[in-house]
Amino acid sequence: MSGQKHHPSLSGAGRGYRKHWPLWVVLVLIALALILPALLPWTYDQIDWDAVRAPAFSGSHILGTDEIGRDRLARLAAGTRVTVMVAIAAALVSLVVGIAWGATAGWVGGKVDEAMMRFVDALYALPFMFIVILLMVIFGRSILLVFVGIGLVEWLTMARVVRGQVMALKQRPFILAAEAAGTPPLAIILKHVLPNIAGVALAYLMLTVPQVVMVESFLSFLGLGVQEPLTSLGILVKEGADYMDMTPLGLLLPGGLLVLLLVCLTIEGERLRDIYS
Amino acid sequence: MTAIPTLLVIILASFFLMRLAPGGPFDGERPLPPETQAALQTAYGLDKPLWEQAWLYISRLVQGDFGPSLVYRDFTVSELVAQGLPISLTLGGLAIILALLIGISAGLFAAVRAGQAADKTIMMLATVATALPTFVTGPALALLLGLWLGWLPVSGTGEGWSWLIMPVVALALPVSGAIAKLTRAGLATVLKQDHIRTARARGLPETKILFKHGLRPALVPVASYLGPAAAGLLTGAVVVETVFGLPGLGRYFVQGALNRDYPLVLGVVTLYAALIILFNLFADLIYGWLDPRMREG
Repeated sequence: MSGQKHHPSLSGAGRGYRKHWPLWVVLVLIALALILPALLPWTYDQIDWDAVRAPAFSGSHILGTDEIGRDRLARLAAGTRVTVMVAIAAALVSLVVGIAWGATAGWVGGKVDEAMMRFVDALYALPFMFIVILLMVIFGRSILLVFVGIGLVEWLTMARVVRGQVMALKQRPFILAAEAAGTPPLAIILKHVLPNIAGVALAYLMLTVPQVVMVESFLSFLGLGVQEPLTSLGILVKEGADYMDMTPLGLLLPGGLLVLLLVCLTIEGERLRDIYS
Repeated sequence: MTAIPTLLVIILASFFLMRLAPGGPFDGERPLPPETQAALQTAYGLDKPLWEQAWLYISRLVQGDFGPSLVYRDFTVSELVAQGLPISLTLGGLAIILALLIGISAGLFAAVRAGQAADKTIMMLATVATALPTFVTGPALALLLGLWLGWLPVSGTGEGWSWLIMPVVALALPVSGAIAKLTRAGLATVLKQDHIRTARARGLPETKILFKHGLRPALVPVASYLGPAAAGLLTGAVVVETVFGLPGLGRYFVQGALNRDYPLVLGVVTLYAALIILFNLFADLIYGWLDPRMREG
């Protein structure tokens, strides 16, 4: 893998705005989600009794209101914010757990490595979602638990990738030199190994984010994730699905936004992965 | 063989997780008098030490007894599962067949047209498909085909088989995208190999090269994806059953967890885990069939 290949230059990856349009779409959406609430006359949980189930472009409600008169645009912005926040936090949990697990396995090698990776293999094929659902049901449904729970499910691929990278790096002369010089293993890993796997880890982090978004929305859709009055895209999709016969916009807007986010994140993540591996 | 210990760990983990939860199966809307509560606890053996309960549960499970449902009190878990399992299996089975059909043909088509516009379009569509969550496609399909066009029933099982179409399509879409990509990538690697060049040099027709010599080894990555795919389908089935109001296993799982119906949740988790483990074994067999080198060792 990366042992023989030169690090691809960023120019080969396609610098510039055009090739990274999916990333830009995501960033613009996040920026909108952050800025819009400050500009809108309505907050996401405020009820406008005079405009229940208002159609789009009616008065101050640009995208109309929902079943109990809350501004759709404000709710979309708030939902996107929560979804993105949970996604980033959970992806970071998975990054930390995955790197710690993968780097240990790859560095120590031998029986430890085999046992650790067997464990990962076993978890891979498990209905892990069900354990997360149990966790959510059991330990209340705090937003903290949502991302810890999701992060704990999504670290497996990261661990596998990091392990492979570390094993390849371990044979490289500069690592052997550091070892010969008596540098303690932890220092080698932190100073020499981690910077070298940062690119790959970043690529897989990008791919983890859509996974996490999907799990969070899935949990929220089942009513097990983020709780009212907070909202997330999953909750909005659920609310929309419940009333789609009367106001299809309630389903199509958050559903479309969620799919757009997921598609862009996936395309960008896959592109990064193809560059680095 | 790691199947049995894995299964055991899952069952025990779920068992103790459930019991850590606050609340119990008998706190209904109307609180029961304490004596009744205690009597119910004793009747279902919930007053015994946890370890003993776990041991009792497993020893009964080995004999095929999933225990009584604590919330649907006229039914045993086996009876509830017997109602739900056929629906979930039909959904999952049809979805994986559909996903394989769409995925492999799309991947094959793209690989034949490698580098052309058709290839790029198909691969882009496949990426989009993998990013389509069932809880969005499900309701969206129901809105379009059910409510607006009125072609298919929006919810429930109903007559005939038309109720299966939307749930199965919603489930199959993301999996078919992943399979298309794996097939395309596998074929791209295989078609560069020597035995294919030899076959071409000897003048074999291109279709024969593709189907007889190319496709089989190219499907190895697809086979190794089947295990995770099965896990994904079962999770997706929970959503699809909720969206389309189908009385499958997934709904019992969510309802059971919310109601603290310990035996029901455990029963469903056990079945799901067993199904996934079985499917992985099956995938290993396919693996061996696709690539004879795998059969040894």
